[in-house]
Amino acid sequence: MLFLAPVMVVLGAVAVFPILYSLYISFFSVKLTRPNRTPFVGLKNYTDLLGDAAFWSAVWRTVSFSLVSVSAIAVIALLVSLLLNQEFRGRRILSTILLVPWAIPYVANALMWKWIYDSSYGALNGLLYQLDFIDKYMVWLGDQDKTLFLIANAFVWKEVPLATILLLVSLKSIPADLYSAARVDGATVWQRFVHVTLPAMKPGFMLVMIYETMMAIRHFDLFFVLTEGGPGSASHVLSWHIYVETFRNLSFGSGAAMSYLLAIATFALSYLFIRTLGRKL
Amino acid sequence: MLKDKTRHLGRRDFLRYSAAGAGALMAPGLVRQARAETATLTMHTWSAAVDTVQSHLSAFTKETGIPVNYGNSPWAQYREGMVAKFVGGAPLDAMWVSDAWLPEWAEAGWIAPVDEFDSLMKYNAEAEDFCTQSMTYDGRQYGLTYYTDYMAFLYDEAKLKEAGFDAPPTSWDELVEQSLVMKEKGISDYPMMLAMAQESWLIEFISTLVYSHGGRLVDDSGSAVMQDEKEGAVEALQWVVDAVNKHKIVSPACVETGELAGLKSFAAGNHAFAMVAKYRLRMLNDPAQSQIAGNVKQAMMPQGPNGSHATVGWMRFHGMSAQAAQDKARAESTAKLIEWFGGKSDGAYTFQKLLFLDIGAGFGVKPLFEDQEVRAAYDSYGDVDMIQAQQALALKKDTVTPWFGEWNDTNGSAWQSAILGNVDAAGAVKKSADLWNELKDSY
Repeated sequence: MLFLAPVMVVLGAVAVFPILYSLYISFFSVKLTRPNRTPFVGLKNYTDLLGDAAFWSAVWRTVSFSLVSVSAIAVIALLVSLLLNQEFRGRRILSTILLVPWAIPYVANALMWKWIYDSSYGALNGLLYQLDFIDKYMVWLGDQDKTLFLIANAFVWKEVPLATILLLVSLKSIPADLYSAARVDGATVWQRFVHVTLPAMKPGFMLVMIYETMMAIRHFDLFFVLTEGGPGSASHVLSWHIYVETFRNLSFGSGAAMSYLLAIATFALSYLFIRTLGRKL
Repeated sequence: MLKDKTRHLGRRDFLRYSAAGAGALMAPGLVRQARAETATLTMHTWSAAVDTVQSHLSAFTKETGIPVNYGNSPWAQYREGMVAKFVGGAPLDAMWVSDAWLPEWAEAGWIAPVDEFDSLMKYNAEAEDFCTQSMTYDGRQYGLTYYTDYMAFLYDEAKLKEAGFDAPPTSWDELVEQSLVMKEKGISDYPMMLAMAQESWLIEFISTLVYSHGGRLVDDSGSAVMQDEKEGAVEALQWVVDAVNKHKIVSPACVETGELAGLKSFAAGNHAFAMVAKYRLRMLNDPAQSQIAGNVKQAMMPQGPNGSHATVGWMRFHGMSAQAAQDKARAESTAKLIEWFGGKSDGAYTFQKLLFLDIGAGFGVKPLFEDQEVRAAYDSYGDVDMIQAQQALALKKDTVTPWFGEWNDTNGSAWQSAILGNVDAAGAVKKSADLWNELKDSY
């Protein structure tokens, strides 16, 4: 116990204390620009948020972004992992290339997509124009109907490799005997996939769903670099809302309250996934 | 011999050693006193013209004997970083301040007025009025200028001639007419460049459009008047909405175009007209950086039907921290430092001139317009009389209040929403005005 004490002290200082302190200030009206006026407001920061239309709009956008992103990641990662589970020439090279997006830092990824989507000199416009799909350069991120999907696309590109690896691990763990037995029983390829492959992949899927949902709900970098919540409020998601409230408005009390609501929502969703998918494992 | 000397401690030796001992005992006190007399100051700026600042600081220390610890951080994180420093009580004496943050920092008691220092106040006589006003909050002045600039209207003379026009537009309606001709002749798809992305520049673009349409966002009492159909911001926003959606002379991508991206697009020859910070004129006429170098001219800001050629001016200044002001000696040293940068050093506005010659940053002191070196530099890429005439019509941002930061994001979103067609101009401005009044009441 004595030997663990230093670690406990460090953990207490860098993890436990900040968490508890942020919970504490969420019950106060803490605004850095009014350092001498920080009254205790109890649950007001929380109740104000729950009655704020802008907050619920941000929640709705976050849910939409997460649903689109996580669904796309799950489907693409499944297809890619099934491909990489086959023996073919160049499989190792393909596996290595696949890891590149995962290795790129989030901000670098965001800057790269900002160039791709640029309406004046972006690579996407250049490509589509040269292929004669468009007759003039298009506005991408500035089009509020497309913005959230375009950001989701950049997010999916970055996240698919990790999801693929997690699913590939599940695939590799399926005993070959199961497939042999299924073949002997006359199961078709589709039947083998539905009755052997998919059930065995559930642990991997659960991990992917929990991890990617958490990442999507809390994601900030792409919104910060690509749109700053715009145009209008088209990409004003919850993480951006928290950033603006905390670091631009310097309202640490309500910002902390918002962060706690986000943390509770993330925890609840993870619990839901574990209860629904985990029960069947 | 040595043994003899140490063995016999004579009267002279005794006095010598006693004096040395007493000196050693007093030394820390003397050092402390010496330190107090030349206390090291701390100065923090954003990361601009760092080498120029450092060399000017070295000259200050050489001249006054006052050492200065210098730190800088990127503009994008500067406000948040400084607030953290203020709240955390980090040592700080002088810093650069944006006019946008003055009320917020003054209300919080983080920065101190400098108007009790006559050595600083004497420079107001030679400063532009809007600069002095921009450094003043609640009747107190908080610093001396570091740099100032205004939003300028620039045009590509070659495109104008190609379209058959002899002179640039003087009104926003005339700009539409000229732009439509350019579109028809295939000179430019979107002749007017407007950068309306959500970033720190947006309020400057918005204020310019409003002022030149003869409107105000906020009146002198601090109440929102932007929602006023006649004298507010609605007419200006409607012009932008029409320019994007009806006349199609401004790209719909303007809502995702930041100041820098817009500047590059103008420099690439994609537009005939642009609203950019005046100091960009130098870069735009530099062949190494611009494809339309030599063709970029400045004209007075076009005016709306009930407006004028007014534009928005902004400024950054050298301020003094409240902690420095609490100690008289430290405050006086800090005032000397502020004067060295924002006033005259060696009898001239050296720092402002250096910044101008180095990076083209505008200055807020009128005598520099008469400086031959400055005029020669301006003449190499612009019209110094035009520059001076437009600067004389610059107005300070009327929205600069303690709640500006909280209102600014919502205002930007409201303008973008109108441009995107989600809400009409009057509705967007009303939303912004409602938040303004709500915040004003809460403060």
